[in-house]
Amino acid sequence: MKKTHVVSLTAFILVSLLLSLVPALAQDNAVTLDFYYPTAVDGPASQVIQGYADQFHQLYPNITVNPVYTGSYTQTRDTVQTEVNAGDVVVDVAVMLATDLFSFVEEESVVPVQTFIDEMDDAEAYVSDFFPAFMENGVDENGVIWSIPFQRSIPVMYYNADLLEAEGIAVPTNNEELLAAAQALTTAERWGLEVPVAGGFPIWLYQSFATAYGQPVSEADPTEVYFNTPESLAGLEFLTKLGTEYAVGPVGGSAWGDTPTDFTSGHAAMIYHTIGSLTSILQNADFTVGVSALPSGPAGTGVNDSGYGAPTGGGNLYIFASSTPEEQAAAWLWVQFLSSPEIQSDWGANFGYIAARQSAWELDPLKSLAAEHPQYLQSVDALQYATREFAAYRAIDIQNIINVALSSVISGSVPLEEAASVLATAQDQIDSLLADYK
Amino acid sequence: MDAQAQPITASVVPISRRATRSWAQRLFPYLLVAPTLVFVILFTLLPATRTVVDSTMEPGRRASDPFTFVGLENYGDLFNPSHHIGSRFTRILGNTLIFSLVTLGVSVPLALLFAMLLNRPIRFMGIWRFSLFYPSLLPLIGAASIWAFLYSDSIGLFNTILRSFGLQTINWTGDPNTVLWSIIGMNIWKQTGYYMIFYLAGLQSIPRDIYEAAALDGANFRQQFFALTLPLLRRTTLFVVVISSIFAFQTVEQLQALNQGNPADRGNLLLYFIFQNIGERRNWGYINAMTVILVAILLVFTISNFVFFEKGQEDE
Repeated sequence: MKKTHVVSLTAFILVSLLLSLVPALAQDNAVTLDFYYPTAVDGPASQVIQGYADQFHQLYPNITVNPVYTGSYTQTRDTVQTEVNAGDVVVDVAVMLATDLFSFVEEESVVPVQTFIDEMDDAEAYVSDFFPAFMENGVDENGVIWSIPFQRSIPVMYYNADLLEAEGIAVPTNNEELLAAAQALTTAERWGLEVPVAGGFPIWLYQSFATAYGQPVSEADPTEVYFNTPESLAGLEFLTKLGTEYAVGPVGGSAWGDTPTDFTSGHAAMIYHTIGSLTSILQNADFTVGVSALPSGPAGTGVNDSGYGAPTGGGNLYIFASSTPEEQAAAWLWVQFLSSPEIQSDWGANFGYIAARQSAWELDPLKSLAAEHPQYLQSVDALQYATREFAAYRAIDIQNIINVALSSVISGSVPLEEAASVLATAQDQIDSLLADYK
Repeated sequence: MDAQAQPITASVVPISRRATRSWAQRLFPYLLVAPTLVFVILFTLLPATRTVVDSTMEPGRRASDPFTFVGLENYGDLFNPSHHIGSRFTRILGNTLIFSLVTLGVSVPLALLFAMLLNRPIRFMGIWRFSLFYPSLLPLIGAASIWAFLYSDSIGLFNTILRSFGLQTINWTGDPNTVLWSIIGMNIWKQTGYYMIFYLAGLQSIPRDIYEAAALDGANFRQQFFALTLPLLRRTTLFVVVISSIFAFQTVEQLQALNQGNPADRGNLLLYFIFQNIGERRNWGYINAMTVILVAILLVFTISNFVFFEKGQEDE
């Protein structure tokens, strides 16, 4: 009897041990991804992202995505940077500014997605389906792809179509026409044109003026920045004079957050703003809203002349080097899922970002939305003129240098006559930072 | 020997008991303060030491590269006008000093004035007290958001009023000449009611008979104020001045809601500038050096206040 008990007990213990090992064995292939994401628009982003994570988990039951809403782009970068500084990186995959690329390449905290793309059967088709302008900031100077576009945008010109029609003014396509239209539309109660460069980030819209005058602030080489150039100065002078000399907009430019409100409330006839604001503007305006590419400058009006020069903006998907190979492989599946035409169509329709995949525009809900509001298609049209956004090594410091220099001139803190000296000082500081990289 | 040894042995037991009790008694206070001490060491002393050490270091290009010791070079760069951080730091430090001195110089006397007004019987006392104290109850970011609307260029309340009188509008937070004063104005509105409460408590603790005696001696209001009220509120003033200067140097939320330090750093303050630079790993040494300077300024300021007010106390 005793012997039987011992045998039974031993068998029970063995079976229990085996059973307890089953979940562990099942867990062997399980991967959990910490996904950090910011948003720069209003809306229930966390619910939508959680919905995507659930869909993904159904497709890949052994992969669980843990979405972590990390606030703004800056807060997301700061969170990631704090983890990197502490040597304890939790994040596996994140949406961060496309322009952050070289900071992360330099510190070797992200891996190039090129490795994963090269293993795809349809690599060529996958890459070529993205709008080329959106891919530019994800690629280094050697053509290696490091990040994949997710929530991207460009600045466009919004105009009060009813007002322009009533005044008999054609939609301006170049700076001369823009100035003439803005002067005709300016009244005591209304600005003709608001360009939101009064905040802390004038560089984004300023780039369009520098490019329109013939020299983008940066090109493919991340060790070169072209800030102290005649084209840059001319662009800055035009932008500043919109307020100080032509008086078609507020001196110092308008505030970013106020500008769409000014437009929809009739305090501004035309504004420059991100296409991401289109949904909100359409909801709030009681007039016909027109959308067009930013007017061109002296550099020319052709696509290849780049005189239109709208810089792209928004966030890309990055995979982190600190993750295990299994986590990185799972992260790549998640990146492919989020960049799929279906998700891009849904995300774009929900939040107003431009779907980065061309095929996404053939799918609902974006297709129906664009049919209902043709203004969305204008953003696609404007994309042909879009260029890479400023990116370089030490991008955060260089952006700060440029933003402070631009702000000092545009706000009138420094007289316009001294703008050349401001650009020269800023360029010296930039060159000093980049000297180590050449 | 035995006779000598006996009393010694006899006395050993009570001494030993006393020593045991004494050891336990001596240990007890340390046990009481231990939790606090652990937290202070972990979350104040160690990070503070690390900050001082890191302020003398420079990070490498790769995250895995070790830091390089550079001595006081980071501090030197902060005061170098051609350096990308130094060219901004001195201006922002100046802004911070102006901001702190003006905020303190206006809000503290104003708080005392309000407290004196509310310390006498007036009608609707509750409403007055609540109205003046209410701004300090609001969350800082909420209050700043309200002021962002008030200051808004096109639809803001202040400019709407100016327009209604046919006056030139002001770009409150966009004009380099007005931005710092706009933030100071908001800060004074937010903090004065809070300091007023301390003064009100201080005033109510002063016995009325002192004033009655002074009045009998023929002292007028001005004499009573300078000879009685101010000296008797010395410790309250010390407290209010110290916390208001600390608050002023800690200003971050207001800037985030109002102007993010713009335009061109004319409305930027030191702690916010430190916060703005956290995202660039290569600036880690500068961030720590700026933090050390900020703490050093606050320390000098606080000690000076203590010395000034305590010396005044002794002189009396």
